[in-house]
Amino acid sequence: MSATRGSTIGIVGAGTFGTALGSVLARAGKRVILWSRDTAIVDSIQKSRRCPRLPEAPLPEPLEATADPKRLATEARFLVLAVSSTDVRDRSRELGDVLDGSHIVVHAIGALAAPNNDRVSEVMSLGLPTLKVGCIAGPALPEDLVTGAFASMVCASAFDEVVAEARRLLNAPPALRVYGSRDLAGVELASALAGAYTIALGLCDGLKLGAGPRAVLITRAIAESSRLGGALGADAKTFSGLAGLGNLLVRSASSKSADYILGKRIADGIMTADAARTEGARACAAGDALARKHKIRMPLLSGVAAVLAGKIDPKDAAKIAGEAVASEE
Amino acid sequence: MSDRPVREAENRLERFNADREKLLAEVERRVVAHRVAQSKAGGDLSLEYVLNDVAYNEIKRLDQKGNGAADRWKDLSRRLLGMNEEEKTSELRSLVHYYGKDVVGNFDARVYKFATGIGPSILGFVFNPITSLREGMNTLRNLDARISADGDLDVVRACAERGTIVVTPTHSSNMDSPAIGFGLLRAGLPPVTYGAGKNLFSNPFISFFMRNLGAYRVDRRLRFELYKDVLKEYSTVLLEHGYHSLFFPGGTRNRSNILEKHLKLGLLGTTVTAFKNNVREGTPNKRIYIVPVTINYRLVLEAETLIADYLAEAGKNRFIITDDEFSRVGRIVEFFRKILVHEGSVVVRFGRPLDVFGNDITDDGESIDRAGRIVDPATFIRGADGEVTDDDQRDAEYTRALGRRLAAAYPRLTVFHSTNLVARALYDSIAKSAGTRDIYRLLRAPAGILGVKASDVLAELVRLRERIAQNPAWGAEHPQYMDQSAEEKLEDAIRGLGTYHTRPAVVRQGDILQVDDVKLLYYYQNRTAHIPPEGAA
Repeated sequence: MSATRGSTIGIVGAGTFGTALGSVLARAGKRVILWSRDTAIVDSIQKSRRCPRLPEAPLPEPLEATADPKRLATEARFLVLAVSSTDVRDRSRELGDVLDGSHIVVHAIGALAAPNNDRVSEVMSLGLPTLKVGCIAGPALPEDLVTGAFASMVCASAFDEVVAEARRLLNAPPALRVYGSRDLAGVELASALAGAYTIALGLCDGLKLGAGPRAVLITRAIAESSRLGGALGADAKTFSGLAGLGNLLVRSASSKSADYILGKRIADGIMTADAARTEGARACAAGDALARKHKIRMPLLSGVAAVLAGKIDPKDAAKIAGEAVASEE
Repeated sequence: MSDRPVREAENRLERFNADREKLLAEVERRVVAHRVAQSKAGGDLSLEYVLNDVAYNEIKRLDQKGNGAADRWKDLSRRLLGMNEEEKTSELRSLVHYYGKDVVGNFDARVYKFATGIGPSILGFVFNPITSLREGMNTLRNLDARISADGDLDVVRACAERGTIVVTPTHSSNMDSPAIGFGLLRAGLPPVTYGAGKNLFSNPFISFFMRNLGAYRVDRRLRFELYKDVLKEYSTVLLEHGYHSLFFPGGTRNRSNILEKHLKLGLLGTTVTAFKNNVREGTPNKRIYIVPVTINYRLVLEAETLIADYLAEAGKNRFIITDDEFSRVGRIVEFFRKILVHEGSVVVRFGRPLDVFGNDITDDGESIDRAGRIVDPATFIRGADGEVTDDDQRDAEYTRALGRRLAAAYPRLTVFHSTNLVARALYDSIAKSAGTRDIYRLLRAPAGILGVKASDVLAELVRLRERIAQNPAWGAEHPQYMDQSAEEKLEDAIRGLGTYHTRPAVVRQGDILQVDDVKLLYYYQNRTAHIPPEGAA
């Protein structure tokens, strides 16, 4: 298979995003190997060309599914890690057993990794032999990828080769376009925090605060996340790009976004056990901890973290945000 | 495993002179081929631009001398417009040859035998002309004990046997080159070749030894790209041919004495290139290992000049200092007579080697990733189909990763002398009473603030030593003096800080320690700057 190894995309994780990405790439004629630990999912894909996690996504050939990590590593040099942030550590170690220094691994995880609130690429690097890691993020919802609506993402890495390969392999216009960046820290943080602010927008809409407060919330979210990014070595501009603003706008407009749904439910007074389970909720707690550690003022994020922790009522959070003293923008 | 059987670490420099013309020819061939290939793109990469860059910089450098030294370059500049590509290539080849000859080193086995046979104290003999022969010989024998080497020596030796080592020490002093030379000898490691600033060769004594013990000349006044090409290619070719090397990744001497964090990666990057070339040539097991090393002085020869330069205008310090203590033979004599009489006054500590990508290695030199698995380093420069690929940006990023690992290794390898520990304890005491750690404020502080009760400093010192013992990642006390009491440590430091420098940095007046030179105090305490202030997170 070595002749096609360089043009094969390996996707690790047959969840909704991994499956949707595989679908759009396979429909564009690209060879995809979708890896899942769950042999039932692999069988289902091989037999019915559908994944139980996202049955509406057609998975035509040349997509193949496998539960064999060795096969994945042998047949694809470029891999996309599309698993939950809670699984990053284990999956990276597992993959690390079969990868080598030539592999390229980008993740599509919009979160920070527990327990130290590390960026996902940092956690990956602990488990993988390759140094060539990166991140893809942006307004590319699974439902848009499945229907072929215009979606765009940005790939960031310190290695130009990683970005170039992501653009070569993942570009599937008009359904998916991939931009490039060297600001890995910025893209990862912007993407993770977008999930947290999506909860805030869910709260805002659930409380029916109106278009004005919504606009203020979005712009202030970008401003405060840029501040944190700056303190962590990221480029402030990244936060108003695809991974930050782009992600926030699309997630808060989607009826399927778990973070947005969570915000709305909390606004409706339904405080569920989900409060700590979405990627956005985890990113919110992690971002809040980072802001405290680096002494960055992030009133919106802190407010959402307090609501999620059940420390304050969402209405009070909105009131506190409204009463906060404005300073220079 | 290695291409050749493991054996005693050999002195490969012994074959250097026989190899020299071959190495130079290889450098010439590669640089010319690379530049000619690049010139096809035109613009800044055209041969006309490259040659003009050389001529312009040389005229700028030499014209002010007014002795016709720039005439050759003015002539080149004039002829350049009328040259065809063939003539430009020929001119390029002759320039590369010219600079290659200027750079290339020499190794004289007789000089090496002489230097290492009489004792690693040969420099003391050279620099101490006023002592009688008998006194001199006694001093020489004793000097041998002044420089000690320790650390992960077995692993470094295994790497030197298996592949090529690149020693990458911290850089405090012009004495570093002889110090590391003796350190290698004491560690049972072979001599290394290294690039030394051309200004150092102006000292005839030092020059003699450097010239004949494998040093090559780096003229930092030559800023044009072609010269950098020659230097980098020379380093690459040396590594490919198995010559153990030394780079000071901090670049110039460390002005502040704060452990280097931001490393210069130019020459370090040649390790990736050399390894890549080895893999491409079908010898992936010719490994290259990077050895982090700290050189730890009880007192630093040029401390006064360096810290003054650092504080004079932070960020605008001079790139090349030519008028420091090192240029005055009298000060070097003082250095040898007063500083090196102290046992263990220089400790060269060798860390665990890394591969060229910054990966850790096993005891026998296999690369391991951060999860502890053995990895094949050749895969890092291979493409999808196993082919070796060229990618300058990738290689630069690998070198940055290596630089980060090296910078992270230095603190753990730091050896604290009494001078460092007491300077830190004293600085902490003063900072507390002054309410600031800011050196510029302390430089203006009244004398009253600069006098501290010895008992307070001793208490600080005890706590500092305890904290260091609990945090091996910060470094360690000098192994020979671990058992010293705080009082002994204090006395030892005051004796040291009062011995050599122009004026004593600290003097004891009864129970008061009076700081007379805050800059020097700051300099010596800076070696502990990576240790957070007490109580800080």
